Amino acid sequence: METIPLSFLEPGTEATVAGIRAADGMLKRLVAMGIHPSGRLTVVCADRGSLIVSVAGSRYALSKGMAMKILVGRTGVKVQ
Amino acid sequence: MKKKIRIALAGNPNVGKSTIFNALTGSRQQVGNWPGVTVEKKSGYTRTGVYEIEIIDLPGTYSLTAYSADEVVARDYIIDEKPDVVVHVVDATNFERNLYLTTQLMELEVPLVIALNMSDMAEKNGTAINRMMMKKFFGIPAIRTVGSRSEGLEELLRTVINESEASPHHEQAIAYDDATERRIAELVAVLKTDPALIARYPPRWLAIRLLEGDENAEEKIALSPARKAALTVLAKIDTAETEAAMADRRYEVISALLPRVCTTCVRTMNSSDLIDRVITNRYLGIPIFLALMWGAFELTFAAAAPFSAAIEAAMSYGAGLAGSGMEPAWLGSLLGDGIIGGMGAILVFIPNIFILLFLLSVLEDSGYLARAAFVMDRLMYAIGLPGKSFIPMLIGFGCNVPAIMATRTIEDPKDRLITILINPFMSCGARLPVYVLLAGAFFPAHAGTVVFLLYVLGIAVAIGSAWLFRKTILPGKPAPFLMEMPPYRLPTLATSVVHMWDRGSMYIRKAGGVILFGALIVWGLASLPFGVEYGSAGSFAGMIGHVLEPLAAPLGFDWKIAVALLFGFVAKEVVVGSLGVLYGTGEDGGTLSSALLADPHLGPVTAFALMAFVLLYLPCLAALAVIRKETGSWKWTGFSVIYGLTVAYIVAFVITRLGYYLLGGI
Repeated sequence: METIPLSFLEPGTEATVAGIRAADGMLKRLVAMGIHPSGRLTVVCADRGSLIVSVAGSRYALSKGMAMKILVGRTGVKVQ
Repeated sequence: MKKKIRIALAGNPNVGKSTIFNALTGSRQQVGNWPGVTVEKKSGYTRTGVYEIEIIDLPGTYSLTAYSADEVVARDYIIDEKPDVVVHVVDATNFERNLYLTTQLMELEVPLVIALNMSDMAEKNGTAINRMMMKKFFGIPAIRTVGSRSEGLEELLRTVINESEASPHHEQAIAYDDATERRIAELVAVLKTDPALIARYPPRWLAIRLLEGDENAEEKIALSPARKAALTVLAKIDTAETEAAMADRRYEVISALLPRVCTTCVRTMNSSDLIDRVITNRYLGIPIFLALMWGAFELTFAAAAPFSAAIEAAMSYGAGLAGSGMEPAWLGSLLGDGIIGGMGAILVFIPNIFILLFLLSVLEDSGYLARAAFVMDRLMYAIGLPGKSFIPMLIGFGCNVPAIMATRTIEDPKDRLITILINPFMSCGARLPVYVLLAGAFFPAHAGTVVFLLYVLGIAVAIGSAWLFRKTILPGKPAPFLMEMPPYRLPTLATSVVHMWDRGSMYIRKAGGVILFGALIVWGLASLPFGVEYGSAGSFAGMIGHVLEPLAAPLGFDWKIAVALLFGFVAKEVVVGSLGVLYGTGEDGGTLSSALLADPHLGPVTAFALMAFVLLYLPCLAALAVIRKETGSWKWTGFSVIYGLTVAYIVAFVITRLGYYLLGGI
């Protein structure tokens, strides 16, 4: 599966987290929020790299810097 | 016989812990619709039957890994104080996300009860959580609650009492993979050689935390004789890798159990998502935010006007009554000039403050403010601030004290310090009376716009200062933005009114306390020494003012304003009270604004410069105290004072010079 940074995804795409390149503390925070390797997320809206994602029913806003650290593989599903 | 039970409310941010706490204890702690409202633990009591139950409301946390200051507060409490039962408050509309914390709480080996809060909303969305299955698979009793309507709370307390007496242990909550389990066993064996250590901390939990490379856990064993052996075990593994594997395992367990417990926990796009697309749109986001704020200020002035007029009329009548027939004359002056003149000047603004607070509460409760933080993040990042610091800045519109405390959710120490230092520039409610008075008197047709401009000026100075600090004393880049967006909720009149009251009543209490005191001191200084004409240049106030006048003159301020500004250090509303006293509004029954208009030293330009000065100079006494507490440094506290004064002076000076030049008058 091809992996790309989360910030490149378009609104409405669903993706699977492939890896997180974050420092220890940030990694723990992301994992606790539900953004973890092999977890799924959906991009709600995106604007020049920063985005709001939906994870297990919660919504998180991430800046571009944050979203660049999260690598995802597209699952190819468009959720409406 | 009375029995005491101590319980702690734990859970993710914004799941309604504070609502349940308030419903149980009958107190009115602030409840908000954004993460991080409770930054400190709070305690209260309730009794049922023979049980006296102490309830501790912990800050919301996503995990117990102690990543930011508020998480540390929650975790240390559970570990060190060992409450009898931990009530894990879960947002039932958002069930799956909460379970990660559940797995960590289970590992802490404290008796747990789950409160499935906001169950009414979950049921409306079609989410059904099977409580029998919860009990079966997690071994934890789950209670259906609706905190906002106090539903299920009695059952919750009954279950808590049962659990505290049964005291079950949730050991082996999650079985990790074989390799990890072997490491855990190895570490537990090592830790058990120190009985004092395992008396304080559950050994399996400590072993797991150590394997995950938790620095806080490493500190806990720093003084233990078992430390060396434990480090030897840890040296054999890569903690980052182990941690990822353990987190994966927790999620595996969660996703395996989830369908059995909640068959309807599905993810779909919903109306919240669609609203988000519009509100956070790259072109619309910032205009929508500015339009909402401007609308709020306009509405505040329009709606408050009749109330303010009524209070003002009553005050002039009272002052006139006290000033005319009272014997001895000094008592009449004390009542008329001191108390009614000083306090009345402030009471007039209560409608404005309450209406503005109400409108901000509506925006907050609806879930909009968290989006505003996200919308502003790009802008904030560009000037060197994390988007998260936007929320303390917004709270600053109400009062800088809770705002500065709210910076605890900012993880990076430099980000946090900058956010604290710029917060006093956010125009708090206490400054509103000054604006309302001066803008109302000198810009009667455009009062709303002028006040809006002052708020913008405050934001601009805050942003400029942040940029300056990043370039000079606190270089670096802000941490990237990551924040939960609470679901949109239709704000109810009741909750918004409660919010408004929580914040507004502080203002009334202040008016009765420190501001009354301030007004009396000003009255004393304006009346003494004996025989001097009230508020004249010969009084003590006049003398102080004349000493300060050379400093204030370049800004176009006379001695009365200098005195008012000096007393404004106590609390900024005192500026209005002091002006009320010094201009002697009591005697002839005239209003303060007409007295100000009659003063030949004052005109629109000077009034605007004065408002800007009041906005920017010294943080008030309470804000300084909290800056000292949160930064832990007198150096930064002193810096904040000197920086604020300097900026205020420069800005007011520029306004007067520019204004005189452009308008050709004061």
